[in-house]
Amino acid sequence: MSNFGDYLRKVREERRSGDATFSVRQLASRVGVEPSYLSKVERGQQQPPSEKTIAALANELDEDPDVLLALAGKVSGDLQSIIRRRPKLFAELIRQLKDMPDHAVLRLVREVRDGEW
Amino acid sequence: MIELANEELKFSFPDVHPDAELTIEFQRTLRIPDDDQNHPLPPGLGSFPVQHVDDHAVNVPSKWLQHGGVMLPMFQSEAMWLNFDSMWVEDRDVSYPFAIKVAAGKQCAVSGESWAEGLARNPQNYMIAPEQPWLDGFVVEKGCVRQFVAMPLGAGYSAEEQITGKAEHGGLQVAVYPMKRDVFERRYPKPKRRMQLGRDSLCQSMAPEMACMTPDMGLAPGGRMKQEIYDDPYDLNDWKIDAGGRCFIHLCNSMIWQSMTGSLPPHPAPTAKTYTDSGLPWFDYYDDSMTAVDGSSTLSNLKSVAQLSAEKGDVALPENESVTPSNLVLCRKGLKKGQVREGVI
Repeated sequence: MSNFGDYLRKVREERRSGDATFSVRQLASRVGVEPSYLSKVERGQQQPPSEKTIAALANELDEDPDVLLALAGKVSGDLQSIIRRRPKLFAELIRQLKDMPDHAVLRLVREVRDGEW
Repeated sequence: MIELANEELKFSFPDVHPDAELTIEFQRTLRIPDDDQNHPLPPGLGSFPVQHVDDHAVNVPSKWLQHGGVMLPMFQSEAMWLNFDSMWVEDRDVSYPFAIKVAAGKQCAVSGESWAEGLARNPQNYMIAPEQPWLDGFVVEKGCVRQFVAMPLGAGYSAEEQITGKAEHGGLQVAVYPMKRDVFERRYPKPKRRMQLGRDSLCQSMAPEMACMTPDMGLAPGGRMKQEIYDDPYDLNDWKIDAGGRCFIHLCNSMIWQSMTGSLPPHPAPTAKTYTDSGLPWFDYYDDSMTAVDGSSTLSNLKSVAQLSAEKGDVALPENESVTPSNLVLCRKGLKKGQVREGVI
């Protein structure tokens, strides 16, 4: 929980140093939550917000929503839906990928199948 | 390894060279008039949507699954050209060389011979990249091709049916062979600047032409245009034949593409007259440093769609009015980088 709050505050403060509209009050207003709630989230005194609010924060702060969601201990709804459709296959795939270096994961591609002509 | 990404087929050969990568794009275009005049090159109108046949296994003919590969939609009498783009090798300052074979209905578009594995020199049955940026049709004589025009397989118009008398395969077949790494490194030891030409897109719509409801389309010879297919300046032994990759591209009648895939096909292209009357550009490409292959007698003996439909009493090519392009853009190899073959509305 504190990982998410610490990261959120760090990114927001960086933005605020060049743009005053990234104060807690103004950012909270733009993503539709109370300033006091956002402040508590940043200090780790509240659970991270909903997926929708995290997505809005990511959009405002120009951050990757999947990264913010992961820091909040969440998986996006669309990814959950994909995994639920084929849980065994994706569970096996993710376990196989967990120790692969990034470049190897990025090289995971689907080949065009050749058959008999 | 062959991947499908962003509507392009990407052939990569990391075991030969990390930069041995060629992409092939299937460009929509307007159909040039089939009037026996030599026309310049028409523009790119955007990529055809390409999908894995395996993704639609329930709906596609079993023969397509047997062939494997990919599929794309074409309306009857719609035209296509192929764009070849080989990867730039930074430390050599050159694009990686490839030999490319293209066949329609398993009849070679360059030599007119039936499909066979590997490469042949007499007659040459392949093209070379990056020297050959595009292929627009069947090579009917030196410096002249007849445009690739889609017709329903079984209607008798396709090159395959005219050559073999059978409507068996349809579609397009492509094979790609990289240059051997040791040959590449020996031939290109020092930087040498080359350029890549691209052809971008524009979109217009028109009413669909008549269509046949069979899924398989074949490519038939349409109007004539000026296009040289270059002689291979390398040795036949320079190509790594045992590392080639091949792909069967099924051509699906656009009228039933949606029922097979659930997605809409692109709008048909504008007519050549509409396009030309709008003052949009046509193109000419030449490379003084290369020589062109001779045309194939097999392909030069083919009847064009207009010729055959006149014999049959069909109306296979509606809106086939002749045009006189006034806006001609010359693309010469070696000119400034970024020079393109495109029409912009």
